[in-house]
Parts: sequence; C-alpha cells; structure tokens
Amino acid sequence: MSRIGVFVCHCGHNISQTVRVSELAHFAAGLPDVVVAKDYRFMCSTPGQDMIANDIREHRLDRVIVTACSPLMHEHTFRKVIEKAGLNQYLLTIVNIREQVSWVTDDIEEGTAKAKALLNGAVYRARLLAPLSSRVIDVNSDVMVVGGGIAGIQAALELANTGKKVYLVEKNSTIGGHMAQFDKTFPTLDCSACILTPKMDAVLQHPNITLLTYCEVSEVKGYVGNFDITVRQKARYVNHDKCNACLACTEKCPGKGISGWDEGLIKRKAIHIPFPQAVPQRPVIDRDSCTYFLKGKCRLCEKVCEQKAIDFEQHDSFLNFKVGAVIVATGYDLMDTRPLIQYGYGKYPGVYHALEVERLFNSAGPTSGKVTMRDGKEPQAIAILHCVGSRDKNNYEHCSRVCCMYSLKFAHLFREKTSADVYQLYIDIRAAGKGYEEFYNRIIEEDVKFIRGKGTRVAPSADEPQRLIVEAEDTITGKFVRLPVDMVVLSPAMVPRSDYKEIARLFNLSTDKNGFFMERHPKLAPLATMSEGIFIAGVCQSPKDIPDTVAQANGAAAEALTIVSRQKMELEATTAMVNPASCCGCQNCVRVCPYGAPFFNEQKGVSEINEALCKGCGLCASVCPSSAIIARHFTNEQVLAEMEGLMEF
Amino acid sequence: MSFEPKILGIACNWCTYTGADLAGTTRLHYPQNLRVVRVMCSSRINPSFIFRAFQLGADGVLVGGCHPGDCHYNTGNLYARRRLAVTKKILEFAGLEPERFRVEWISASEGNKFAQVVTEFTAQIKELGPQQKLKIDELLEKI
Amino acid sequence: MSQAITPYLEMSQAIMEAGGEALKKCYQCGTCSGTCPWTPITHFNIRKLVRYGQLGFDGIEEFMWGCSTCKFCVDRCPRGVEIIDIVTAIRNVYSGGGMLPQSLRAFVGSLAARGNPWSGDQAKRNDWAGQKYPLYAPEMEYLFWTCCTVCYDPRNVRIAKTTAALLNETGISWGLPAAEVNCCGESVRKVGDLDLFARLKQKNLDYFQSRNVAKMITVSPHCLATFNKEYGEDYSVVHFTQLLDKKIKEGKIKPKKDFGGIVVTYHDPCYLGRHSGVYDAPRNVLKAIPGLKLMEMERSREQSMCCGGGGGGLWMEKLKGERLSDLRIEEALATGATVLATACPYCITMFEDSVRTLNVDDKITVRDVTELLLESMEINIDESVGDVCATD
Repeated sequence: MSRIGVFVCHCGHNISQTVRVSELAHFAAGLPDVVVAKDYRFMCSTPGQDMIANDIREHRLDRVIVTACSPLMHEHTFRKVIEKAGLNQYLLTIVNIREQVSWVTDDIEEGTAKAKALLNGAVYRARLLAPLSSRVIDVNSDVMVVGGGIAGIQAALELANTGKKVYLVEKNSTIGGHMAQFDKTFPTLDCSACILTPKMDAVLQHPNITLLTYCEVSEVKGYVGNFDITVRQKARYVNHDKCNACLACTEKCPGKGISGWDEGLIKRKAIHIPFPQAVPQRPVIDRDSCTYFLKGKCRLCEKVCEQKAIDFEQHDSFLNFKVGAVIVATGYDLMDTRPLIQYGYGKYPGVYHALEVERLFNSAGPTSGKVTMRDGKEPQAIAILHCVGSRDKNNYEHCSRVCCMYSLKFAHLFREKTSADVYQLYIDIRAAGKGYEEFYNRIIEEDVKFIRGKGTRVAPSADEPQRLIVEAEDTITGKFVRLPVDMVVLSPAMVPRSDYKEIARLFNLSTDKNGFFMERHPKLAPLATMSEGIFIAGVCQSPKDIPDTVAQANGAAAEALTIVSRQKMELEATTAMVNPASCCGCQNCVRVCPYGAPFFNEQKGVSEINEALCKGCGLCASVCPSSAIIARHFTNEQVLAEMEGLMEF
Repeated sequence: MSFEPKILGIACNWCTYTGADLAGTTRLHYPQNLRVVRVMCSSRINPSFIFRAFQLGADGVLVGGCHPGDCHYNTGNLYARRRLAVTKKILEFAGLEPERFRVEWISASEGNKFAQVVTEFTAQIKELGPQQKLKIDELLEKI
Repeated sequence: MSQAITPYLEMSQAIMEAGGEALKKCYQCGTCSGTCPWTPITHFNIRKLVRYGQLGFDGIEEFMWGCSTCKFCVDRCPRGVEIIDIVTAIRNVYSGGGMLPQSLRAFVGSLAARGNPWSGDQAKRNDWAGQKYPLYAPEMEYLFWTCCTVCYDPRNVRIAKTTAALLNETGISWGLPAAEVNCCGESVRKVGDLDLFARLKQKNLDYFQSRNVAKMITVSPHCLATFNKEYGEDYSVVHFTQLLDKKIKEGKIKPKKDFGGIVVTYHDPCYLGRHSGVYDAPRNVLKAIPGLKLMEMERSREQSMCCGGGGGGLWMEKLKGERLSDLRIEEALATGATVLATACPYCITMFEDSVRTLNVDDKITVRDVTELLLESMEINIDESVGDVCATD
C-alpha cells in the first residue's frame, strides 16, 4: 500500500480551459492508494510548492504525482520540492496534461477524458516506483579543449585564467583556425590578425595551458569528471625542443606542396610553418611533398639545421590525459562547390570561393594583399554569389548566417583595393547583428550593385574571351540579367568538418541532419551535449560569426567550470543493474551497449554494469533474454503498469 | 456514437516525446485518442510491451524514436528499428492487421510531423475498427 | 485607373487544390526564372507565375502558357518546389474557366474525339506498319508503345519504322498496340485538362489489363515519363535507346557501316534526360557507330536546353526570336556538327521546323538515334529513309 498525493495544476487558463481540473482532482481522489488530491492555479509557484510539501508531511505521502506541464519543463523543480519535504526525488511522477493534452485540443470533453487516462496510468506506475540513490564520484579538475580556432583559444584562456589546467588540442601545426586566414572582420573592419595573434601568443605563454598542436584525439574513455583521453601526436620530423625557429630549413627546402593555409592558391615548402605569425613558431615536414620521403634522398634541411632538430626517424606517438570535462570546438569547412556545375568552380579560373578571397585580401597571403587573379590581372568587374549550397534543399537547408556579412565585407574591400564594379547576387540580406545593418547601409552607399536574385549560371563569355558571364533574374524588375565579369566569388554553405563523424563517435555526440553537433537543448542548454561533461562551442554547433563564437566559448568554459570546480559530483540514478541470480551470461548487453557499461565478470559468469558509464537508455534491459537487467525507473513492471492504467480509460 | 479507438504511444524522451511537446507548444491540434508512455530511448521497448498493449485492448500502437543516426544514445534506435520490424512480422503472424502497429522517427523539432502522424494513424485505426484479435477480455470470453 | 491590386486568395486556394500545393514553399529567390530557358527570350517568367499564383493576382493568364515543362527549374529549385505541378494546376483552374488558347483547341479536341492529338483516324493508327508487324499478344515480352506522333506525323512515321526494324533485329518478342489505344495523355495533362487525361489513361489501362501487358518499349520520352510517373507501378517501361544500348552491349545489334568521321551532336530531350534520368544510353548507341564523332554542346545532359515542344508548346505558335529550338540549332552548329541527333518525336518536329526557317538545312540535318543506327547496320526499310547521313 502506498500513500499517493495528486496535485493538478490549472496553469492559469493554459490547462483549465480544455481540461476540467477540479473534476480531474475529484477523479484522482477515487483512484487506488490516492489519499489526497487537489487542484491549484499555479502548482510551480511558491504557494503551490508549499502546498505539496505540507501535504507530504500532513498526509505522510510516499508518492507524489504532479499533473501539469511536460516533465521536460518542471520535473526538476518538483523533484527538489519533494526532496526538501523528505521524500526521495525519484518517487515523483509528472503527468503531462498541458503540452500533450490541453494545448492540442479545443474539446474539453476529450481533453478531460484523456487527462483522466494519463493520470490513471501515472497512479499505476507510481505505486511501483522505488527510491533511488544518486551516485557520487570524484572529479578531475583539468579540462581538454579540442580545436585551436578562435573558439578553442578563447575557451582555453578563460579556463586557464581561473587557474584550471587546460590541454588545447589542434590538428594543424598552428593554432588560429579560420580566423587567422582572414584579413578584416565585419562589421568593424578591424584587422583579424591584430586581434587574434595576441590571444594565440597568450595561449603559448600561459602557464596553465599545455598546447598540443599537430595532434588528434584518438580515443576517449571514461565519463564526466573522469575522462581518459588518448591523443595522437603526429610525427613532425622536427624536434621542437631543439628547434630555435631560425627557419633556415624552410628557405633551402626544394619540396613543394599545396598550401592548405592559402587555400591552394600557391605552393609552400615541404618543411614549413603555415604563416609568419604561426603559433608555435616551429616547422613541420609534410611527408607528401618532402623530396626525401618521396625519392629517398635530399635531407637538405638536416644539413642546414644548426640545432640538429631535424629527425626523419620520428614516429607518431600517443599521449594520455585525464580530464574532468571537454570542450569540442572543431569548427567548419566550406562546402565543396565543384558538384554545382552551374557555377563552374574548378573549371573556370575566374571563379573563387570565399576563403580563397580572404587569402587574396590578406597581406600575408599569396598576393601580399593585392587583388590579382590566377591570370595575374586585376578584375574589372566582380560578382559575389550568395547562398551557394545553403538555403538549398538540394544541398544544405540551413542558412550559413555569416555569408551576407562577409560578402558585404568583400564588396567593401574590392571597392577599396580595385576599381572594379561589384555586384551582389542575393536572395535576402540578413544583417541581424550589432552594427550589421549600419554596415549594410555603408556598403550600399559605396555604390555596390545589389541584384535580388540567386545567381543561376556562370559561363564563359562568347564575346570577350577570358571574361565570364553570370546569369540571374533580377526579381525586382523581373529582368533576366547577364553580367559580364572577370571574377566570380561564391559564398558557399558552411558545413561540418569532413571528419565530424569521427569526432561525434569519439565524444558520443549527436549530430543534426547536416552533421553539426547537437546541443542538449536548443534554447536552454545550447552548449551542453547529451554526453555529460562534453560541451560544444563555435561553428561545430551551427554556423555563426566571431562574436557569437567567442560568447559561446566563454559560456562553454563556464559550463566546464561548473564541473571541474567541484571535487565530487552526483550522477543521475536511473541506470541499469543486473540481477545476478537470473543472468545467463549470454553477454548480449555487453555487445549492444554504446557506452561499454556492461562487462562480463568471468569469475562469477555473469554480466555486471559499470554504473558510472551507464546513461540509462535501457537498451540492455530490452535485449536481456532472461530479464535479468533492470532499467531503474523504467522497469518492465513500471512500464507495463502504466500501460495498463492508460488503457483502462 | 462513432468508434473512438484507444491508441497507445511509446515515445523516446529526447526526440518524439519532445516533438510531441513541441506540437503542444505550437498549439497544433490532433485527435485525443493517443496516450503516450515515455521511455528514455526507443531501444528500451521490449516487444512484449507491444503485445501487452494489444492484450490490454489497444486498438493501435504507435512507437516514436529519433531518426536513424540521430539517436541520443548513438545507436539505440538502430536496434529498435530492427527489433520493431520483427515485432510487426510476429504481430502479423499472430493474425493482427499490421497497420495497427506503426513506428515513426520524429525528431524534437518535428512537432508538425508528430501531429500529422497521430492524425493519420488515428484515422487509419478508426477505419480498421476495434481490435479484438489479441484483446484479453475477448479471448477469455471465447474460452 | 487605380493601379492597386487586391490578392484573390480563393484563386490561390483553387490552384493549391488542383495540385499546386507547392505554391506555399516558394520564397521567390529567382533560381527558377534565372534557370528557365524562356526568361532571356520571352516575357514569360516562371517566378512571376508562381508569385501571381501565391496571391491569386489578376493577369496570371499572360504567363500561364509559356512553360514547356522542361524541369530545369524544378531540379535547381532550392526549396524543392514542384513547379510543373503548379503550372499544370494553374492551367487546370483557368482552362476550366474556358481560357484555353485557340492554338490548343484543335489538339485537345482531337484527343477528346479520336484519342490522338493529330486529328488522325483512330482505325489507321497502325497503318504505317502495313501489316508487317503483329499486334501485341499476352505471350509476347514487350508492347512496343508507338507514340501518336510517330503514327500520324509524316516526318515521325519514319521513326516508327526505323525503331520497329531495329526491334526485329534484337531478337526480342514484341507487338504493336491495338488501334483502340489512346495517347498516353502527357501533353493534355500538362496543358491542365486533368479530366481528359484521366479518361485517356483509364482507356489505356483497360487495354493493358485486357492483354496482360507488363513490359513496354516507348519511342517517345513523353510516354516513358508518363507511364513511369502517372500509370502506377505495375509496368516496366523502357525507352528504345535503353533497350538498344543493352542489345549493342550484348552483341545482338552490330553497327557496321563506317560513318567516316561525321560529327554528330546529341540533344538531350527533357523528358528522357531530366524527367527520366536517361543520359548515357543514347550516347552509348551513337558511340557504337563506327566513324561517328560525338561532340557535346555547351549545354548538355542535366543542363540541356529545352526544344520548346513540351507542355503543349508543340502546338503553339511562337514568334521568330522566341523559339528555343532556333537557339538550340545555333548551339548545335557551333559544335561543328552536321547532324543533330536526338531521341524524341517532339524534339525532331521542333528542330526540323527550325532548320527550315533558319535556312540551315544544307548545314545540319536532324536525325533520330534509330535512323543513324539503322543506317549503320545497312538495313533498308520499306520506303527509303534516304541517305540520312549524306554530308557532301
């Protein structure tokens, strides 16, 4: 026999207008084991909470059912209420009669009937609930940040400044990310390097940051508070402890490779640093373009190195770190626009993508900041095509958010650095940010020509060889336009890194349909993920600009701090357990668990569950042939009883 | 009075249950015949739950989970997908109209899809009429 | 006069109910109109048509007949709008109100009365074959679905003959449809007469069922696309180029005669290419002909330009300077080709007209793929097709 209290919320009119709440409370009073049933205008208010707490004491309740909004809304609130009143928090049941009843009907008869059925099910389930105790674990106070772009740099610095030890992992040989490739940033047009390089340097100098460049995470074990992470240090073939960055090696090196940093616009040496302000100032050898690795002889770099830092025998090595929380800030790639044959990227040399243009503007770039095209000429007319592959169901449905603004920035820089006419072919200009609309107005006044219509085709000009024709409809006049231009700039969709699946697998992250990492809640937990202790920041979550990225990085640092600043923490108690008496030792659970929580105890011949790893999904319980696994809080008995209650009405 | 079926829903916490909440938040109306049981993941659903629901007199059972590949527990719904496909076969073998059992992948952002699926499914079950094949009361009466 | 305009949402609703549901999805980016081959040369603007439809604006009549349903815009649309369905729905709504243009009335009338668009005598549908080929019977593998156009139109009758002659070489068993069959209904559906389409389709389905038809070969890509998309899933339908490609690979068909370096360019019919996804089969057939040099036009395959004959365009008069087929002939000439090959009776008709009106019939000839293949196999058909590849 249990003693159940039922509390029906009106939620103002939100519930009461399509569910007869007092009738519902009256109905509840007649259900088995219910000793008190009340309705009240706002159960989540302080008087409402007090009413529940008083009734728990007064009526010696051992189960509480709150019939109100979704459990996703206030389960936590009411758990705290009953816990304060001396009840175990897992003895609470929420019946969702707002989101799933009152808001989805306008028929009060139907609404009331459905609410009764749901409440009946909840009573049946509540009678079988068991108190559960939360688990307490020790917390490691260090943090790992994955990705050394502006998001990772910012998060690492914030955390390090609080005194926490941070490991910053970057797969390239320098930190800086895409922001270091830009020349100017919108809307203020301040120099990207001027604001970024001091931060890069601060990372290098910070006593609390261990910088791990040319490294990739290869394995993640453990759980919140106690992650055990293996990092692969890729062979650099240069001993960075000996190297003094004289860079004599890079001068003599005969090997030529494609410069990823310069988006393939020029070649760079096989032994190289990506750009002059790279952090750390230490070269690496790219095997794919090194003459020695390709042909078996050369080793010129070795000869010129006075420090004897060149080491062709170096191998990848593996480093191990234990941390309490992780921030994933792996950034983005631009969509490969070659499959969009109508734009001719890769076919016509006059067609560029946005990052290539960023490098053209950059004074440290392949043209030293002069706008000269692949044929060495300065363009006379330029068309910038927005929404290439974004806002497009055939490619990526999302808006990449920054393209409007950087396209405006490009227009400004083209007008400043060349005498070219500049056309913007856009669908909508999205200038929603501080100072963005003002920047848009400024660019309009710089006599940039705006054509409202998506660019539909780029083709060689029949009349003027070397020139290109861009076709579109100017939807404002309804005229079909053919623009003779020299240069076409595509603003492609921002897409997840090509290895996002691997990162998602390593850190147990969910992704949305495009591959961006999923936040725990789109509004209320935008930086947390479904994996406790793993946070996300920057464009790997969704396209965003630098200010938003930095804000997210700070937020993620604060979130990580809420974990690593504690010495001990509680974990959700709704895990699975094995009843050894009925376990047949088949190990189905061991095979299916995505978290490796169940393991086989050879000695006892039964499976056991590491509760620290268990996330409580219940998969093991449903594959267990002998029903030996109990999914706490969602046991077979509890689920079946709830179903029975639901089907009675 | 026309036939008002009882439909049992089993929804995963992260996608379909949240999607159902979204349908409410956006005030999309749909028939009130569905009663939802929340589980953490569609992979928690044991086929016996489905059989039990029909025994208890459900006229239809609707299972909702995250889209394949989007599971909050990585791979749970892939197991669910296979297991529930087999469940459907067994139900059919037991003589139940397979249309009474439906599995849908509805994400947390697809409130409209949730409402649409419930509307369609309810209409479909109404068309099929009351479920008597597996209902325990009916069976007992026959005996 | 007031220039103000009031939305007429009932009309918009009617269009959606007639199958133009996709109206709602459009965000007016101009991809369709910027892609549409008509935008540069006529006042027809597909984006405006959708826009007028969204708000039910007056004046939609001016735009509604311009579309030739080439599907280029549909493939590119970033919102996945089924633009052709919108065009069809708008035409349905307005032609229901008696707004069918004069030029289309004869063709629609003939379809209603005789089951074909060419005012041909239904009993004479198979006269071109001269009793030479059997009617389809259930034990046969394929029904050779002759398009009305190849049965009645004098230029295209030759294609019926060349295709039939080639089919006889493949070793498959096949027969002709009985004279009672109707047009597949594709064009009348696209001009919006959905009721007449349903009638034509039902009669054909009755015939298919009575003879247990399961597999078909079509001459016209329009029939191919319509059977595949509108006639249900009971039929396996291939275009003759697909069958010939297969039979050449199997060695059943062997082109012999060397064409001596003749330059041929191939035009992708919209209903074979974009509508049905068949790009390689016709090219493979052409490449199998010894000494034939295939040159591609600037716009080919997925980006091919429409001839203008679809969506009822075949029956509508267009002014000089507003004909896509003229532009296409110019593109073909620019490749240096002396033969423009294609695989659709509508395209053949449109291009034959253009070659004559542009006075370039001494520079380029329009040929069906089967005509070229048959010539290479050195097979004559009853009436001489002529030396189809005479160049000098």
